[in-house]
Amino acid sequence: MAIIELLLRRTARLLLTVLLITTIVFVTVRVIPGDPALTIAGMEATEQQVSAIRARLGTDQPLGVQYVSWLRASLRFDFGTSYFSNERVIDLILQRFPLTAMLALLSFALALTLAIPIGVVAAVKRWTLWDGLGLLFAQVGMAIPGFWLAIMLLLLFSVQLGWLPLFGADTPLHWVLPVIALATERAAVLVRFVRSSMTEELDKEYVLAAEAKGFPVWRVVLRHALRNALLPVITVAGIQFGYLLGGAVIIEQVFSLPGLGRLFLSAIHGRDFPLIQGGVVFIAVVFSVINFLADVLYAVINPRIRVG
Amino acid sequence: MRRLPFSILAALIAASIYAGGAPEAARPQGDTLRFALSGNPDTLDPQATQGTLTFQVLRSVYDTLVEPDHDGRIVPALAESWQVSTDNLSWTFQLRRGVSFHNGDRLTAADVAATFARLLDPGLGSPHAKEFASLREIRTPDEYTVVFELDHPYSPLLSSLATGWSAILPRSLIAAQHDFAAHPVGTGPFRFEQWIRDNRIALLRNPDYWIPAVPIVERVHFNIITEVAVQVQGVLTGDLHIIDMVGPTDIARIERDPRTRLDTGLSSLVMVLAINTRRDPLSDLRLRRAINHAVDKQSILDVAYAGGKVIGTFMDYGDPYYVDLADLYPYNPQRARRLVAEAGAAMRTLDLVLPQNYEPHVRAGEMYQQMLAEVGFDVRIRLVDWSTWLADVYAGGNFDLTVIGHTGKLDPDGRLSMFESDNNYVGWTDPHAAEMIRAARRVAGFEERRALYRDVLQLLAEQVPFVFVGSNYRYIAMRENVEGFHMDAKLDTYDLRRVRLR
Repeated sequence: MAIIELLLRRTARLLLTVLLITTIVFVTVRVIPGDPALTIAGMEATEQQVSAIRARLGTDQPLGVQYVSWLRASLRFDFGTSYFSNERVIDLILQRFPLTAMLALLSFALALTLAIPIGVVAAVKRWTLWDGLGLLFAQVGMAIPGFWLAIMLLLLFSVQLGWLPLFGADTPLHWVLPVIALATERAAVLVRFVRSSMTEELDKEYVLAAEAKGFPVWRVVLRHALRNALLPVITVAGIQFGYLLGGAVIIEQVFSLPGLGRLFLSAIHGRDFPLIQGGVVFIAVVFSVINFLADVLYAVINPRIRVG
Repeated sequence: MRRLPFSILAALIAASIYAGGAPEAARPQGDTLRFALSGNPDTLDPQATQGTLTFQVLRSVYDTLVEPDHDGRIVPALAESWQVSTDNLSWTFQLRRGVSFHNGDRLTAADVAATFARLLDPGLGSPHAKEFASLREIRTPDEYTVVFELDHPYSPLLSSLATGWSAILPRSLIAAQHDFAAHPVGTGPFRFEQWIRDNRIALLRNPDYWIPAVPIVERVHFNIITEVAVQVQGVLTGDLHIIDMVGPTDIARIERDPRTRLDTGLSSLVMVLAINTRRDPLSDLRLRRAINHAVDKQSILDVAYAGGKVIGTFMDYGDPYYVDLADLYPYNPQRARRLVAEAGAAMRTLDLVLPQNYEPHVRAGEMYQQMLAEVGFDVRIRLVDWSTWLADVYAGGNFDLTVIGHTGKLDPDGRLSMFESDNNYVGWTDPHAAEMIRAARRVAGFEERRALYRDVLQLLAEQVPFVFVGSNYRYIAMRENVEGFHMDAKLDTYDLRRVRLR
């Protein structure tokens, strides 16, 4: 029951959020300079051509009229067609989403695989060399911008050593560098989180009691403390996954990967309004769904919430 | 339950490996030409865009009635020959026989007529419709004859027919509302195979091409790569055969490497510092001349544009209509300062707008700012993105100075028609120049037209709505085993028909 109620509450909130964001984006992209008709017509176009294109796109209509018709169509899940390619926005997004989702998912998996052991070790071996190394990783990882790391990895492994391919997404090898570049910063953030959460857990009485009884430290950590410590991490991880989708935009650019990032970037450059709008809705929905799943997961693992 | 977080993690990893581990063919092998395209085309419909990227791809998929040869002269292509009536009003083209489209249709006059009917259809809203505004009707007296009947003489017609947007489409597919934007079908040397957006466009050799034994390579892959550094690395490692983005710092490296070579030529771009003549104080000719004398054009070309040639006119060096005006405004800061003092105008801070996505223009803009400061102008730089530049600067006239390159045109009318009225971004016109531009459209003889355009170019240079800096060198890097590559300089497109990989 609790989950259904959560689902309903979240759906309502999602709808409100999407409405709010799309309205803001709708106004913003039309208020800033730039006219898609001019971009399509190019530098040598005449007035008449430009206004003909504007009429075809519907951008000559008053802002309010455009907004209402967009809203009406999108309620029927019709997000229009791209101004430039004339393809359906929904098709364009769904073509690109698998790659970006895969990139984010793999990076997320790598980030967790790195962050949990490092964070746990750092917490257990607090104020030792191990802890120091873990914190150093976190500090450096957060300080290095993802795109810079991406370029450095590309220069070292693809250019200098020639071990990995330069561009594209045809083989598993193509994924190695983008995933590392994207995962590092997230892993760094999560290490600090896991460490502090674990530290808190280790200071609790049951751990101290267990240790006093002579249980080996690692058994206490793995059997009891870890699960409790990871609870708050799940919520944070959900938000971090959202960051991954954002970071993927830049990483796709560096590694020439045909994902959502490059699609939306060129949409913004060209003021492809329907594609920008559709993209915003899509990202908002994905983000909300992921956070919802994180909450469900949290509820499943934490019996206290399930009961209440 | 106890190990849940780990099992979820393991499931995640397993799922990702499973989904990610479906490799297609790795690096394409064999007779595939791998070309770096510097961006994803908006569309593959030749009639619906101005985008250079579109035509760089479609040059290999479509043919035009006529085409430019390696020296820029217009020669037969799908039309074997043509005649112009003495009043310059009717142009008759004889079509080549035995040409077929990639869908099997045989090329006839009806296809040509349908193609231009589509281009002029207001429903399509083609940005190229105005070039055919003089067209009254297209007649097809027999299967292989097409007659373009004009309302008034229009000499640039032949050049228009040689450009990418005059590509001939099959009538049957036009009638069927075929989606040319995603699936181009032409008569060209290569058939369209696949377009993975933002990744690559694949073309396959057309075995029935109308030139025997052409094309030579089996496939062409246009790999879409927006980063200069990645393109350069790609050609150095051999992942790419030809790239057209080479930064100034990469030139030496490519020349030094025995596996790559550099194809260098003067581009058909005219790099300008454009001046808004509508606004005070730059409506004062003396100040515009001062700006022109203040600019060290060769340094701008060398530092910002990786080398080039000073030309001083709005026509590129290789053009038959080129006039040498390079010495009209030599670099002379003292003279510039005198002109500024003479004008005695109330100076204000000038708004120099730069398109931030074009790094060379931004570098040039910073140099202009310094050079102008030395003779007494106070210039502030404003960086904008390309859409903003088009709307705010080019269409809106909201600038004092801006930096841009004007692309080459097969016919001089393409560059100069904008000065027929002051409805252009620099706000410049001249009654005499406007009259000559109109006259040059009506006369057919080259010498006559050249005399008219020479005067227009002279006026344009003297009146300084632009500082004509010059044309830059264009660098194309390729693997040493690439043979037969040719660039249509004026059109910025690539002729891949005779490319061979040794």
